[in-house]
Amino acid sequence: MKPPGFTSPAHDPRVSARIGMWLGIAFGLCFVTGLISHGVQHPAAWFTWPTRPVNLYRITQGVHVTSGVAAVPLLFAKLWTVYPKLFDRPLVKSVPHALERGSILVLIGASFFELTTGLFNVAQNYPWAFFFPVAHYAVAWIAVGALLVHVAVKLPVIREALSREVEPAPATGALSRRGFLLTTGGAAAVAVLATAGGTVPWLRDVSVLASRSARGVPVNRTASAAGVSTVDGDWRLAVGTRRFSLAELTAMPQTTADLPIACVEGWSASARWSGVPVVDLLRLAGAPPGSAVRVESLERDGLYRSSTLPANHAADPLTLLALRLDGAPLDLDHGYPCRIIAPSRPGVLQTKWVSRLEVL
Amino acid sequence: MRWAIGALGVGIGVWGAVLLVQLNLFEVGPWLLGGPVLHDVLVAPVVGLVGLAIARVLPTRWRAPVAVGLVLTATLTMLAVPYLWRAYSGPVNPGLHDRPYLVGYLIALAVMWLAVLTTRIRPHADR
Repeated sequence: MKPPGFTSPAHDPRVSARIGMWLGIAFGLCFVTGLISHGVQHPAAWFTWPTRPVNLYRITQGVHVTSGVAAVPLLFAKLWTVYPKLFDRPLVKSVPHALERGSILVLIGASFFELTTGLFNVAQNYPWAFFFPVAHYAVAWIAVGALLVHVAVKLPVIREALSREVEPAPATGALSRRGFLLTTGGAAAVAVLATAGGTVPWLRDVSVLASRSARGVPVNRTASAAGVSTVDGDWRLAVGTRRFSLAELTAMPQTTADLPIACVEGWSASARWSGVPVVDLLRLAGAPPGSAVRVESLERDGLYRSSTLPANHAADPLTLLALRLDGAPLDLDHGYPCRIIAPSRPGVLQTKWVSRLEVL
Repeated sequence: MRWAIGALGVGIGVWGAVLLVQLNLFEVGPWLLGGPVLHDVLVAPVVGLVGLAIARVLPTRWRAPVAVGLVLTATLTMLAVPYLWRAYSGPVNPGLHDRPYLVGYLIALAVMWLAVLTTRIRPHADR
């Protein structure tokens, strides 16, 4: 029942059920792609992630961030449709009713948490003290759990509301129910257009609020931030027990491939990389086929100074120890003297300033 | 069916709670509660008052377009905040977070309002 004073036609189960469904789809996409990204970065023993198509992680993580962005106006619209329920009295009718209201508080709190921290993380802006990935991951489970409970409780209402037509406009000139739905969908579309150019090339000039600009391959961590300076002629790449100088690496057969850098923060950039396939180096070092490889950087500390190539990525002929980017030698900020570029991997695992490949 | 969905939800949520309590709840807690509190005591009342003002002040044919324009303005503003308020952000690196965000945001608003006010959004669009 609608308390007096709330006259907007948007306060109606037909509207909230439809927006709720869109929001549920957005959250579902976010959750699945988020679990994938988590799995790729912290693989359980049973988890494998394919190396093809080379853009696979670029797509899943683009979907993750884009569906989260679309969810922002959807969440506000959903809450507006049900806002009068906040003033239902009595506040609590029974124990199940209290649990239901509590679960909704959990759902809304977790939803705002995920969208707010996600948006700020895309901008690498951290106005909080906790470690973002761990908190964003934990609260995702809470949000989705509370969402399923909410769907279970409301299923009869949702079914009934979705089966009814959304009727025509009132004569007041205000937004009708259908107008509210169209506006909400439009706001989600505008939100996507304003940001998706961070990963969708043809939107690059349209997306004024994208995380990356149109200039070349972005640098997420500069050499000076990583405390890495250029190397001299004494530099050697260690692969198992073998050592390679830069001249030796340059003299080896090179592979050139168009591969994306796809950041966990949702931006991506494709570029033409040239270098030595990691699988060739492993063969020269006498590593058994099918080995996983730990990649270590010249960077002394920092969360992402090393990464592990799972066996299927280490064996892929497109997993390169890259020496050149778009035809020119790598510059220091892109990982000189050499960096890993592997197909379908998060950018933080494309280790720069490589010093050692350790066969596991 | 409902019970299965509900039980699955409880299980997933409890797993999230297990992960959450391993964090510093004094740091995470305010961010978990802040959304619902800010929304219920600030955002939604403001939306209601603005809606009321639109209904009282504007002539009938302008009500829907202005409402749409304000919704889209709010959406773009929320997405712009992390780029325009950068007190806690990392360094701006080549190619990343280096767009002219304020200019882009203002241009997007101008284009959007122009579109909204010229494409005659009719209150009786539902036929």
